[in-house]
Amino acid sequence: MTTARDKSCINLKLKVWRQKGPDVKGRFEAYKARDISTDMSFLEMLDVVNEKMILSGKDPIAFDHDCREGICGACGTVVNGRTHGPEKGTTLCQLHMRHFSNGDTVVIEPWRSRAFKVVKDLVVDRSAFDKIIQAGGYISVNTGGAPDGNAIPVPQEAAEKAMDAAACIGCGACVAACPNASAMLFVGAKISQYTLLPQGLPEAKKRALAMIGKMDELGFGNCANEAECEKQCPKEISIENIARMNREFLKAGLF
Amino acid sequence: MITCPNRFRRVRHYAVVKSYRRPNLKIMQCDMNWFIRILGSSIGKKLIMALTGLGFCIFLFAHLAGNLTICAGEDAFNSYAERLHALGPLVILTEIGLLFFAVAHVFIGAYLFYENFRARPERYLVKKNAGGRTIGSVTMPYTGLFILFFIVLHLIDFHFVEKTDQTIYQIVLATFSNPGYALFYIVSMIIVATHVSHGFWSAFQTLGVYNSKYMLPLRVMGTIFSLAVGLGFGFLPIYISFIS
Amino acid sequence: MQLDSKIPDGPLSEKWDKHRFKMKLVNPANKRKFKIIVVGTGLAGASASVSLAELGYEVMTFCIQDSPRRAHSIAAQGGINAAKNYQNDGDSIWRLFHDTIKGGDFRSREANVYRLAQISNNIIDQCVAQGVPFAREYGGQLANRSFGGAQVSRTFYARGQTGQQLLLGAYGSLSRQIAAGKVKLFTRREMLDLVVIDGKARGIIARNLVSGELEKHAADAVVLASGGYGNAFYLSTNSMGSNISAAFASYRKGASFANPCFIQIHPTCIPVHGTYQSKLTLMSESLRNDGRIWVPRNPEDKRSPDQIPETERDYYLEEKYPRFGNLVPRDVASRSAKVQCDMGKGVGDTRLAVYLDLKDAIKRDGRDVITRKYGNLFEMYEKITAQNPYETPMMIYPAVHYTMGGLWVDYNLMSTIPGLFVLGEANFSDHGANRLGASALMQGLADGYFIIPYTIGDYLAQASLDTSREDHNAFNESSLQVETRIKKLLSIGGKRTVNDFHRELGHILWENCGMTRKEKDLEKAKKLIADLRAEFWENVLVGGTGKEFNQSLEKAGRVADFLQFGELMVMDALARKESCGCHFNEDFQTDEHEALRDDENFCHVSAWEYRGEGSRPKFHKEPLEFENVELTQRSYK
Repeated sequence: MTTARDKSCINLKLKVWRQKGPDVKGRFEAYKARDISTDMSFLEMLDVVNEKMILSGKDPIAFDHDCREGICGACGTVVNGRTHGPEKGTTLCQLHMRHFSNGDTVVIEPWRSRAFKVVKDLVVDRSAFDKIIQAGGYISVNTGGAPDGNAIPVPQEAAEKAMDAAACIGCGACVAACPNASAMLFVGAKISQYTLLPQGLPEAKKRALAMIGKMDELGFGNCANEAECEKQCPKEISIENIARMNREFLKAGLF
Repeated sequence: MITCPNRFRRVRHYAVVKSYRRPNLKIMQCDMNWFIRILGSSIGKKLIMALTGLGFCIFLFAHLAGNLTICAGEDAFNSYAERLHALGPLVILTEIGLLFFAVAHVFIGAYLFYENFRARPERYLVKKNAGGRTIGSVTMPYTGLFILFFIVLHLIDFHFVEKTDQTIYQIVLATFSNPGYALFYIVSMIIVATHVSHGFWSAFQTLGVYNSKYMLPLRVMGTIFSLAVGLGFGFLPIYISFIS
Repeated sequence: MQLDSKIPDGPLSEKWDKHRFKMKLVNPANKRKFKIIVVGTGLAGASASVSLAELGYEVMTFCIQDSPRRAHSIAAQGGINAAKNYQNDGDSIWRLFHDTIKGGDFRSREANVYRLAQISNNIIDQCVAQGVPFAREYGGQLANRSFGGAQVSRTFYARGQTGQQLLLGAYGSLSRQIAAGKVKLFTRREMLDLVVIDGKARGIIARNLVSGELEKHAADAVVLASGGYGNAFYLSTNSMGSNISAAFASYRKGASFANPCFIQIHPTCIPVHGTYQSKLTLMSESLRNDGRIWVPRNPEDKRSPDQIPETERDYYLEEKYPRFGNLVPRDVASRSAKVQCDMGKGVGDTRLAVYLDLKDAIKRDGRDVITRKYGNLFEMYEKITAQNPYETPMMIYPAVHYTMGGLWVDYNLMSTIPGLFVLGEANFSDHGANRLGASALMQGLADGYFIIPYTIGDYLAQASLDTSREDHNAFNESSLQVETRIKKLLSIGGKRTVNDFHRELGHILWENCGMTRKEKDLEKAKKLIADLRAEFWENVLVGGTGKEFNQSLEKAGRVADFLQFGELMVMDALARKESCGCHFNEDFQTDEHEALRDDENFCHVSAWEYRGEGSRPKFHKEPLEFENVELTQRSYK
C-alpha cells in the first residue's frame, strides 16, 4: 500500500448541489478538492472531500454508491453537464480523475426529473423504476415446474440481443440525460429483453401495455428521439430498443 | 376448441392490466375508449406526431414536384395548377385532411412540449450534449412554431389570394419579386428542412421501423429528403427572380 | 447448547427426498396467516422472498439499498454451476458434489453439498424460464464453459454479468409478488437488531435510512440473507455497503457463528495502488483459462514485461502444478502469488502484483476470439489502470472476495435461534474452507428457491407461535438498545473518521489474518484489534444526527460491528490449529508448502456462541463425518 503511483496530483474546484431533503430548497456550494491523485475514481475523490468535511464538523455530501465496479447502478450524478461524467460508457464509480486537469471546475448535480425526487444532496429516489418493473417487467413463472433449460432453443442472435438490452443497470442516467426526462430507454430495454426471448412472448402484449402505462403515470417526459440517452448510457444501450418497444406497444394496443 | 378458450384467456389476461386496458370485444363495438387511451399514451401521442408528420412529408414531396413545373415555363405551371383544381372534391378532401393533420400535429406537439417541460421542474446548471441531439432535434418545438406561422402566411399569400384576374404564375412572380419576401421564404425553407431533418427518421423510430439494419439508410434518407426540401423550395424564389 | 445438524439418515442421494417427505406442511389456507421477514435482496434473499410469497406466506422484504436490484450478487461475473452434463463430458450430480467437497478441503457437510448439487439443475431451468439471457450455442442450446479449475464444462453464463442477470431474474419475480401484494418491500432499511421472544426469532428492529426512524417489525420467522463479511478487511471486492451488522446482531442474540476465519481470497484482482482506494476490482477468473501467470525469475529484474525474454520468466503455477497449471483452485493460486511477491519477485510500482499474460492466447486464437471472450474485462482493466491489456500483460493480485464462514445453520438452514433462518453467503454451510468458482450463485439460489420454502413450512407447522405484535416488550427493549448505541456513536465526537478506523482494521486483518497466518501474528492482531476497538468507542467522529439521512452514521455502526467481529475471526483462526483450504497457517504445511490438514483433530465446524460483552465466546464443535468421500490431501500437481 505505497503511494508510488500517486505521482500526479491535481487540485479541483467543486460546485456541488446541496439539498437537505426533498421539500427543502437546494443550492450550489463550492468546495476545494486538493491533492487528488489522478488514479482515484471520482467517488474516491468525493470520499476524500467528505472525510475532510467530517473532520471540520460539516455535513458531508450525500451520494448513492455501492459496488464501485459499474454494475449495481447505485451511483450517478451529472458531472459538468454529462451523466456519469465525460467518459463514454462509464459509470461514475469507474470514472477516474485522470480525465480531469489541474484547476478544473467540476459542477456536480443530482439526476433531475419530476419522477426522481431528491432525497438528499446528490441522492435521488429512483423507486419509479421499481414501480415500472412491478407493473410487468418480468416473466410470470412460479418457482418449480420449469421445463428443462434446453427445452426451448433460443437463437444465439436473439440471446445476444436480449443480453445487450438486459445489460441495463437501472441507474437512471437515461432519464437524467434526456432533454425531456423520459424513461423510454429503461423501459425499452426491459421490454426488448423479454420480446426477443421466446419465454417472454406469451405476455408480451400485457407487459408492453402495463409497463408503458405505469411509466406515463409516474411523470416521466416523452421521448423525442433525441438519442441523448443512448449516448450517455453507461452500458451504451441502443435506442433500437425504444423502437422495438414502440412496435410492441402499438401492436399490443391497436391490434 | 382452441380458439374459444384462447379468446377467453385473452380477455381475462387484459383484465388485470390497469392502464390502457383493452376491454372485452362485445363492449368494444360501442366503446372506443381503449383506442383513445392508446393514442393518449406517450407512445400514442408520438404515433400521431409521426403519422401526421409523415403525411406532411408526402405533401411536401407532392408540393415540391408541382412547384418545380415552374421550371418548364409559365404554361406548364399554370396548367399544373388548373389540373390540380380540376380534381375538385378530391382537393377539398385533401385540404380538410391536411387541416385535420395540422391541428393534430400542432396541438399534440404543443401538449408534448408542455409535458416534457413539466417532467423536469428543476433544470440543470450545466447541460452538455453527448452527440445524440442535432440542430434539428434541439429546435423541433421552435422550428415547428415558426412553420405554423409561415404556413398561415403562405396560405394568405397563395391560397386565399384573389385569383380571378391573375394566373397563379403571375401571383408567384409578383410575390417573389419582393426581395425581402424572397429572403424570408428561403429562410423559412431552411427552417422547414431543419424540422424535417429530425422529423423524418424520428417518425420511423416512433413507428418502430428503426433497427440496426435500417438505421443508417433511414438517417441518410432523412438527410436527403430534408436537403431536397430545403434546396428544392429554396431554389424557386432564386429561379423566379432570375427569370423575371 | 448442543449443535444438532439434523442431517437425515439414509444413503446420501436419498437424504433430501426423504427429508422433504418427512417435513410437515402448512395448510395452504393457513399460509397467509404467517408473516415472514426476509432481510436482504441478493440472490438468496430475493429468491426466498419470491418462493415464499408464491406459496402464500405474507412476506416482508428489507434491503439497505434504494432498490432490491442493487444487492451485491449483481456483481458476480463468471457464472453458475449445474450438473446438467449438457456437454456430455462426464459430469454428474455426484461429480459436482465431489468437486465441491474436495474444493472445500473437506470442511463442509456431505449432505448439504450433495443436496446443492442435486438442486443445481433445477436452478438453471428456473432461471431460463424467468428469461435470464444465458449464452447460447448456434443451435439455440445453452452454452457452457469450464471455470475455476473444473475438469468439466458445467458453468452457465451470461457474458461476464451472470450475477447481474440471475439477480435481475429474481428481482423481476420479486417485483411480480410485490405487485400482487404478497411481498411488502422496505428499501433503505437496515436491520439493526433481531427480536427474540421465548427463545424464538420474532422480528427485527430496522432503521429507516432516510428518516432515521427506528421501526419495529414482527413476524413468525426471520430469514437472513444479508451476505458476507469480506468488508471487515476494508479493501475487498465486496460492495461498499456490504456489512455484517444484521448477522452480527443475530449472533449477539444467540445465533452461533461458524468458521469466521474462512475467507476466500480471489487470485485475480486489480492490485492496490493507493491509500485512498476504497475497493478492489475483480477480474473474472475465466481469464485464467487463457492467461498465463508469471513473474520475472530474477527479483532484481526491473525491465518492462515485453523486455523480459521467455527464459527469464517464471510461470510458477505451470511449473509447480503441471496438471492444473494456471487453473488451480483460488486459494492455491492466491497463496502462490503471495509467495512470489514475498520473495521479492512481485511486479509493478508496489511490487505487490504478478503478470497475467494473454499474449500467447492472442497469438494462438487471434485477437478477435480473445476480444469476444474477454473484451469487456479488458476494457474494464484499461478504464481503471489506463493500461492496454492487449499490449502489455495485466497485473493482478489477490483480494478478499467471499466469506465461507457465516451463521451456523442446520440442514434446514435454521440457526441456533429457532425461527431464524440464514441463507446464501450469510450462512456457512456448503463451501467448507474454500469455495469453487461459480458456486456462490448456485448456493444462493438453491437456498432461496428450493430449500427454504420446504424447511420453513416444517418449522411453522410445528412451532405453535402466538400472534406476534410490535408492542411486545422485547421490541421496546431491542429498540431502546439500538437507540442507545446510535446515541453513543454520535456523542463520542472524537478526532478520527469512521473510514480511518475501518482502514486500520482492514490493514491489521490483511497483514495478520489474510492469505497466510501465523500463531504469533494472530496473537498480535487480537491485541491490535482490541485496542483499536477501544479507541473507536472513545475517538470516533461521526457527525450529524440520528434522525436524518446520515451515511457516516450508517457506516459507523457497521464498522463497530466489524471491529468486534474481527476479534472473533482471529480467535477462530487461532483455534484452528491446522491448515485447510483458505485457512493457511504457516505452522502447518507439508514439505512442499501445501496446506496440511489435521483430520484427526480439526475435521469439524467451529461454532462460536456469544456470551456477552467482554466475555470470551463459547466454542462449539460440530464434527464432520464423511461416509461417501475419502479424505485425501488435495493435490493439483
